[in-house]
Amino acid sequence: MKTQFNFPMKSFGLIAMMMIAILAYNPMYAQTQTTATSTQSNQEVTVKGTVNDENGPLLGASITLKNSKIGTVSDENGAFTFPKALQPGDVLVFSFLGYEMKEIKIQKNTSFLKVVLETDIVEILGALESNKPYKSKRSN
Amino acid sequence: MTLIRYIALFIIAFQSNAQISDFDHIDFRKADSIALACKSEGLDNLPQLSYKLTSNLHTDVERFRAIYMWVCTNLTNDYGLYAKNMKNRDKYRNDSLSLQAWNDEVTKDIFRKLVKHKKTICTGYAYILKELSKLADIQCEIIHGYGRTSTINVAKLHAPNHSWNAVMLNNKWYLCDPTWASGLENPVSDSLKYEYIKGFFLVNPKFFAVNHYPIDQNWTLLGDQAPSFESFMEAPIIYGKAYRNLTMHSTPKKFHNFINRYQTVRFQYQLQKSVTQQHIRLEIDDGFNSKKIRPEIISTHDQSLTFDYTFNYDGFYDVHLFIGDDLVSTYTFKVKS
Repeated sequence: MKTQFNFPMKSFGLIAMMMIAILAYNPMYAQTQTTATSTQSNQEVTVKGTVNDENGPLLGASITLKNSKIGTVSDENGAFTFPKALQPGDVLVFSFLGYEMKEIKIQKNTSFLKVVLETDIVEILGALESNKPYKSKRSN
Repeated sequence: MTLIRYIALFIIAFQSNAQISDFDHIDFRKADSIALACKSEGLDNLPQLSYKLTSNLHTDVERFRAIYMWVCTNLTNDYGLYAKNMKNRDKYRNDSLSLQAWNDEVTKDIFRKLVKHKKTICTGYAYILKELSKLADIQCEIIHGYGRTSTINVAKLHAPNHSWNAVMLNNKWYLCDPTWASGLENPVSDSLKYEYIKGFFLVNPKFFAVNHYPIDQNWTLLGDQAPSFESFMEAPIIYGKAYRNLTMHSTPKKFHNFINRYQTVRFQYQLQKSVTQQHIRLEIDDGFNSKKIRPEIISTHDQSLTFDYTFNYDGFYDVHLFIGDDLVSTYTFKVKS
């Protein structure tokens, strides 16, 4: 019995072209992917560091990626590891109440930051508004 | 360098009419509701607090409003610290070293109390407002100077006693006072009563100068029209609630007035909203008795308020202006026969 196999030449041509296209596309895809990965690993850095004042490590200083909610706080040794890999140009804000805020721009080779915060010089004044009616002192 | 920067900023940004009416087209309800939603937030992470307050708002004035509202409604005034600070500043006023030592001590105390209890005195309010604004890329400065109230001995104000803020919005400087917007001294209990007063946000500089005088006169934002320190010291007493009712105080220009019997005195103000005659009241106290007068209003055109009063008897009077239940201003009149 002869098996009937009617495969039109037209369809065969189409499949062949698709296979060639897939083969041709595959290396291109791999190449693009490789490039992307290498760019990413070149540019993104995990930033660690310490925050101190003139007396030593600062516990609880906040380190935040500018204009975002992403951040962390320094531990009892003043040390921190930023929770997100950063790119050159990102800005970290170091703040602690009573100290001057510091902004540091991440460079290509930034991986460890040693930050010293300076005490904010604030003249402390305080007058209270009052709704107590003024009363003149009278001698009579 | 800082001086040059400020001079440049004043040349660019000097506007004596910079006030809230510049933003009549802005609806602040969204900013206010964001401030309210952040009520449970602490001060241990200012960058995150600033982000939460401002990231969903589209204009600088709304972003600043959210921060200002949060500061006014979340920080509380520390009456004990205020009283202690006033006492020691007065005690050490001629001893700069002791004053410096006291300031260093109180600064540490202030920041500790701010983080732990959100309690402070005026520099604390002004400081947090500035820091949160800086994080939202809004330029805001602390202004130190003199604040006149009915309980501060106005004739013996020998050193700066108050801090407030100036903020740059759309290339113009504006003034606000977060401390006085958020509390009034309670004369009965010597404690502070919380009561938000909206009129301290982006105030008319001419009105603000009636009871605020900066150490650096440029910060009156009035340029050539800035009053001298002497005329500031002679100005009438206006109360916190004046900021709820007025946008300008015009006359009487002085606190102590010397007039002749039968002389008529003109009282003139600019109101935030129109009022009727029955809401305006003068209380005139001669030291023994106090009488209430409903003056005949001459004009309420364009929300201005003008009325006259004639003193028919000689004597020495404390004269208080009330709008509704709000005590607005006080003057004294020495009437000669």
